[in-house]
Parts: sequence; structure tokens; C-alpha cells
Amino acid sequence: MKDLKHLIYFENLLQEANNELVVRAKEEGRLALGYTCYFMPEVLLDLPGCFSVRLRAPRSTSPDIATYYMTNRTCTYGRSLLERALEGGYNFLDAELATETCTVTCRFQEHLQMMNIISNPKFFCTFIDVPHKKGGTTYEHYRLQLEKHVLAPLHEKLGVDVSDGALRTAIAQHNELCRLITQIGAFRKLDRPTITGFEFSLIQLVTLCCPKDLILPYLRETLEELRTREPDLKPQYRCKVLLAGSENDDPYFTKLIEDSGALVVADRHCYGSLPGREEIEIREGETALAAVARHYLDTSMCPRFMNQDVMRERKGYLADLAKEYKADGVIVEQMKFCEYWSYERVVDTIILQRDFGLPVCSIEKEYVNGTSGQLRTRFQAFVESIEIKKLQEVGKA
Amino acid sequence: MRKLPIKIPESLKKKAKDFWYGKPHGERRLGELYEDKTGLYKHREWRGVADTNYAFLVWLRAVGVAGKLALSVPVPVVRALLRYRWMSTYLTGIAWIDRGNEGLHGEALRASMEHYYAMFYDSVRQLISQFRADSHLRLGVKNLFWYKTLDHDETIPGHLFYGFPEAYDDILAQLTTCFLNPHVCRPTITHYIDAVESIGLPADPCPLCAAEAGLCVLDDYPDFSPVFLTTNQACDGSVGTSIIQDMYWNKPLYAMPQPMRFDDPDVQQFCIDEIRGAWKFIEEQTGMKFDMNAFKKKMAAYNQLTRFEREKWDVAANTPYYPVSGTAQALYRIFYSEVGERKIWHRTDRRVKALMDRCIEKQLRPFPMTRHRALVWSCAPLYYSYFPTWLYNCWGIQVVMNMDSLMSDKVVRLENEDEMMEDLAQLFEWGPMRRMAVGGQQHIFEIWENYEKFHCDMVIMFDQVACKSMDGIHGVFEDEFRRRGIHAIWVPHELMDHRTVERAEMRRAVNDYMATVMQEEPLDPSLVEIDDSMSW
Repeated sequence: MKDLKHLIYFENLLQEANNELVVRAKEEGRLALGYTCYFMPEVLLDLPGCFSVRLRAPRSTSPDIATYYMTNRTCTYGRSLLERALEGGYNFLDAELATETCTVTCRFQEHLQMMNIISNPKFFCTFIDVPHKKGGTTYEHYRLQLEKHVLAPLHEKLGVDVSDGALRTAIAQHNELCRLITQIGAFRKLDRPTITGFEFSLIQLVTLCCPKDLILPYLRETLEELRTREPDLKPQYRCKVLLAGSENDDPYFTKLIEDSGALVVADRHCYGSLPGREEIEIREGETALAAVARHYLDTSMCPRFMNQDVMRERKGYLADLAKEYKADGVIVEQMKFCEYWSYERVVDTIILQRDFGLPVCSIEKEYVNGTSGQLRTRFQAFVESIEIKKLQEVGKA
Repeated sequence: MRKLPIKIPESLKKKAKDFWYGKPHGERRLGELYEDKTGLYKHREWRGVADTNYAFLVWLRAVGVAGKLALSVPVPVVRALLRYRWMSTYLTGIAWIDRGNEGLHGEALRASMEHYYAMFYDSVRQLISQFRADSHLRLGVKNLFWYKTLDHDETIPGHLFYGFPEAYDDILAQLTTCFLNPHVCRPTITHYIDAVESIGLPADPCPLCAAEAGLCVLDDYPDFSPVFLTTNQACDGSVGTSIIQDMYWNKPLYAMPQPMRFDDPDVQQFCIDEIRGAWKFIEEQTGMKFDMNAFKKKMAAYNQLTRFEREKWDVAANTPYYPVSGTAQALYRIFYSEVGERKIWHRTDRRVKALMDRCIEKQLRPFPMTRHRALVWSCAPLYYSYFPTWLYNCWGIQVVMNMDSLMSDKVVRLENEDEMMEDLAQLFEWGPMRRMAVGGQQHIFEIWENYEKFHCDMVIMFDQVACKSMDGIHGVFEDEFRRRGIHAIWVPHELMDHRTVERAEMRRAVNDYMATVMQEEPLDPSLVEIDDSMSW
């Protein structure tokens, strides 16, 4: 396929947390607000005068100092973020809006709070409580948390306009971005997709790590390009897969899968777009903040939700995605030492095969994986097994 | 009259004295009591006439309680022994009491053994209740007990079920089937960890949660209730276990997660709603009605236990007369606070109070060889829960208090229902481990305040290698110990799985520190190096 015009630019933007667009926005006098988890609604951090940055630690190697603080028995995502913070890589942040949603990222953010790591006198870190259930009174609980621990400190400490009107403006911009990403992502549903998983992951990631208004023009142009992009005459892949699992902000992991012969057509993982790029709907009589709270609880498919129906629904959601995106199999990945996904991966691996007949490749990974020979072998074997299965089905027919 | 020239040799006098009172601490050589490798006792410990008789009496009472189990549900017990692998644990149950109280004398022996006996007694009660209702032991037939028994996660305290007097019993699903196993007989639980790892779970999540999930995988939980109530306590792994439980049990499940940021007044309503939601769920699923008066009555009784617990802490903190060993304190506290109100706790507390008052009144030091007063922080090794007993016997390190004792100490106000619900929520939120481990780093650093409060000069810092919450804050502890000049001994372990860190390795961490940093000699050199690698 013809190269996308801005792809190299997107890739370059992802080489630093404090990238070119972040620097530009800071120079314009805007506030950089960091976060790590989907449960911290990015739309609230994109209020006028601010922009959200979902923290990544690109080009990480060995997080030595962070390992002293967090041992080598915690996930490399949390440790790499702390290492980057200790190196001064997040000194551009004006605040960290934190969630106590998984243990290690919570501990990472607590280090920001207590160790005075960020060299910015204005910097503060505030936490919210996120319910482990959806429905009933949880929306109000969550809304109240967002109001008191996100909007109130932003207003009081940084002077941000957090009025309903400002929120609606942010939501409108957010929805435009979601529409664009959804449209771009839809090209993955085609019989012969005109975008690769690697390309899509770059695009999705820049939307999380750059000021929205500055990245939007590039996305619009990319969407127009994709409308006329022709697929390769001979596909470069041997099967299509859905990538599900825990935190993954490493586009080279997706590339590793694709280099092994599987096209990644859907991304259901933290930092992915499914879910995450659905438009926020403000219902009649609802405040903008209430709509945000409802939206983020309803759309999340995080394994920390404990309602019995929700635990079961998550498996169906994956199977539906696999069908919608015409995936031949599912790769369920789990960041080493992530307890939620340790269990969820096991259950997904059993249920998707047993109840939905989907082939599953179940793996553990580190934060940086691009050159992992072991994973490459696993993916190649998985691709071969899917091919054999297809051949057997053709034989039976 | 002339006196007969009979002179009793000093050695004989000494032998007579040792026989009557037991040998003094430095001469006991407790390590020589064990058979090599298995750690089995060659014979019972001689503690002097009175103390040996007392210990033997408790042993007899425990045998009687075990006999009660066998006689009250004889057929189900035999079937359970054949059906559930974990049941073999309890064949060694009485030895657990002996090990936990090794080397103790006088009031320390009595107070600590009372705690152990109470736990043993209540474990038997729970086993009887489970087996009476267990459909697995009745060829799948669900009897009346099955419909009237409530099954809940061991981290949901029994308080929440006081309002269902119609219920035959409420049982903590994992307490006797999983949690107690490594305390009593450590090899039985590792099989379940292997079972869940065999379906793909990595080896790094919390082994307690993994073992709980392993029991599901092997279908080794008794089936004694139409419902199950679960929670997110104490960590992410507990949430994961609930996913496995739902997949394998496939019965109505109510999750009642607690808020993480529990200091925040705004989160209390959520917790209250969850408690009320759980009551409603039980009513809908079982047809039993919630009775507020019954609830308040039992809660009032439970409040007495909490008040006495605080009194114990006060004596432990401010005097050398606290008669409860570090081992008994830690276990009993977590046990009764999770099980909830039962008569046995009151009986035990009355006896312990009498012993404690006697120690204070007569200024008796129950642990006379104390060289260091230690605070234990982080989660303790379940397969070596009597580690504090070893610390005292070998090195004179008296564990005054431990982290998990310092939780759930809320006295619930009962006059006003709103206040009551607020307090109940907080009591629930302050559960074991999560009281210190979640909700902000300020909780885990309550160590400094408690270190001062309990007048300690040493910290035994348990390093549970699979605990992400504690691992995630390890370095700050190191920094602070150095900055504050605190003697802290890091003792690694893996909670349930002794294969990762053996007991000998834990002892070695202490031996090395005491010999090199503290430059002290052991009180009982026979305990420094023991080979108990094949022990229970």
C-alpha cells in the first residue's frame, strides 16, 4: 500500500513524551495534564487552556532506579514511567490526575506525589476513586469524584475554566476526534483492510499523547488519504487477529505481530481504541460532567469490574469484535506482573475457545517487546495453526 | 540432735528445679526437640509441671473438639476426607497449636494458647457447618441447610450477616479450605497453586488468591449455599479470583467492592449502598428477611471485642506485661475479626483479660528475655505464621504488634441508623491488608507512628515477593529506614508457597542481621540452624 503521508511524523511524535506538539502547546501557555488510565477521562483534561497527555515512556531500556524503588516484581510499565519521571522526562507536566485503579500505576503516581520528582513548582497530583462496578449509584459516585478531585483542583490551583459550557466545548472537540478515529479504524473491517494495525496504533497513540487541536488537522488529512487508499494486490498477511489485553502503548509490539504474518485488525487493550473512541452523548437534562461519568463507566471493558453480568459480558464483547472485524483469531496479551490481566487472560483464553470457537494465543509481555524472539516464535506458530485450521475447514467442505 | 550429713548435689537440685519449673530460656535447646528435616517433635516440650500440664490440658481439649467434629457429622467428615484434598491439613491440626506456642511459659503460654484454642474451636465449627450443608457430600442433594447457609469471601467480615438470624450459618468460603492450610500443614496448599498455574495463570500473582482460584479449578470447595458474595479486598488479585470463581461456580454472585480511597468522606455512600445491596441480594435469593434488631444486638456484642482489642494494644504499647505472643496476636486478630461475633471470642477475651490484669497487677513480664521490641509490617508468611515465636526463642526479639492487627478497629455506633451504616462501611473498608496497603501511601507509612507508639526498637519487614502493593513502595521504605536510623530486617517469603522462599531462608535473613549488624549471640543456639525442609 502507498505510504501514509504523516506516518513518519506520527512515529516521531511518539519518540518522546514531551514531543513537538506538546512543546508547542506549552509555549502557547497551555497546561499539560498527565494521566495513565482510561478511568481518568481525557476529555476533562482537554478543557480550554489545557491538554491531556497519557503518559508513556518511549525508548525505555532498563528501569534501574525505578527497580530500586519498586523492585523487579512489578510491571515494567509502572517502573518505566517512574524511571522516565526520575530522568526528568515529565517535567513539562503541570499536574498528574491519578486513579487508584491498578496497584502499580497507583504506586507510580504516589511516588510523583511524595518524592517531589517533577521539577515544576505548580505541579500537583490528585487521586480519584473509581468504582469496581457499573450501574446504579456508581455513576453518581464517579461523577462526584471527578468533580471534587479533578475539576475542583484544576480550577482552584490552575485557574482552569471548568464550567458546563467549557466541558461541552471539550466534549465537542473530543467527539470530533473520536469520529475521525472510528472512521479510520473502520478501514480495518474491510475484507482487505487498507490500514495496518501498526499504522493504526501510531495514529491512535498520537491522539492520546498530543494536544487534540494540534493533531486533528493531521488526522483529517489522513482520513481523506485512507478513503482512496488501495489495498495491496497480494496481502502481506496470512491471517487477521484481534489484539486484546492489558496496557500496551508500544506500536512495535503490534509491528512484531504483523511481521509474523498476522494483521492486527482490532485493538481491545489499554491505550487502544476499542473501547475508548466512542463519542460522548449528552442526554437531555444531563450535565456534561454526568454524561462524561456515565460514558466512561459504561464503555470501559476493564477486568476490574466485578458485577457478575459485566464479567460475563466482556467475553461476548471480544467475540463480537472478532466477528465485526473479521478476525481469524485472538491474541490475548498481559503485561508481566499485571494481576487483573493475569486472571482475565486465563479466563479469556478458556472461554473464547470453548464458547465461541475462536483460536487464542495467550502471552505475557514486557513494556518494550519489539525485538523479542520468543514472542515472534509464538506468533508465527499461532499464524501457522490458524492457517492449518483454515485448510482443515476447506478440506472438510 | 545432730543433723544428718546429707548434702544434696547441686546438679540434682538443678534437675529438680528444671523439672518443676522448666529450664531457663538459655538452656532449653528447643531445636533439639525436632527430628531432622521433618521437624516432627521427638517428644512434647517439658515446660515444668504446671505449664506442661496446662499445655497438655489444652491439647486434650483440642482432641475433644476434633472428636466433636467427627461425631456430629460422622459420615460427611469421612466423605470430606476422601473428597477434599485440603481436609488432610486438619489431621495435623493439634500440632499447629503446639508449634505456635513453643517455648512459652506462664501467662504467655496461657494467653497465647487460649487464642489458639479459640481459633481451633471455631475452625471446627465452620467445618461442621459446611459439611452439614455440603451437597458434594450428599451426591448432589441440597438439604435444608444448603438453602439457609450463606457463603462469602473470607475478606467480607461476618458482621454483614448478623441481620439474618434465619440463616443456619454464614461461612467464609476460603478460611478453612485455603487460608488456614499453610498455617497448619504447608504442603497441602501448593497443589492448588499448581492447579491454577496449569490453566495458564502466571506464577507471580498473590499466591493466596492463586490458591483460592486453584480450589475452583479442582472443584474442591464445598457447595453449601445457593449464593456467593465476593469483594475486591484486599488487592487486584482478589478481583481476579472472583472472575475465576464466577466461571467455575456459575451460581448467583454478588460483588460488593469497597472504595479504594477510603479516607475520602465522599466514598462512604458508595460502600453503604453496596452493603445494603448485599442484604437485598440475600433477601431476594434466599427468601430470608433482614432483621435490624438482630443485627444491632450482635454488632453490640462485637463492639465489646473491639474495645478489648484496643485495651490489649494499649497494654502492649505501654507496658512490658502484655502476655500474648506475636504469633497468637496476629492470627487471632485476623481470624475473629473476619469471622465476626461468636461466643468463643468473648470467653477467650475474658480469660486473656484476667491473665493480662494479673501480669499488670503483679508486674510479671511474660517475655522476660526480650532484647528487642519489634513491630512487624506488611503481610505475614502463612506457612510460617509462628515465625515471631522463633524470633523470641532464638534471638529475644519480641513482636509487640503486627500490621494486620491494626485494622478494623471501628466501634460501630448503634443509636442512629445513618451513623451505624457509616461506621459499618468504615469497618468494612479497614479490612486486613487493605487498611494499610490501599487508599494512599500515607496508610502504609503509619508504620512510623506505630513504631513510636509501641515503643519498638526494631522492625521485621516482611517482603512478600508477590505482593505488588508492597513491592511497589519498597525503595521508599529503604530510604526512610536509613534516614530514621531504624533497625529493619527484611524477611522474604511468598505467603502460601514455601517452595519459593523456604523457612530456613527467612531465618537466615534474621540470623545474618543479628550476627553481623547487631553483633548479638542467640539466646538459644540450637534454633539458629534447623533443617525443617520437609516439615508440616
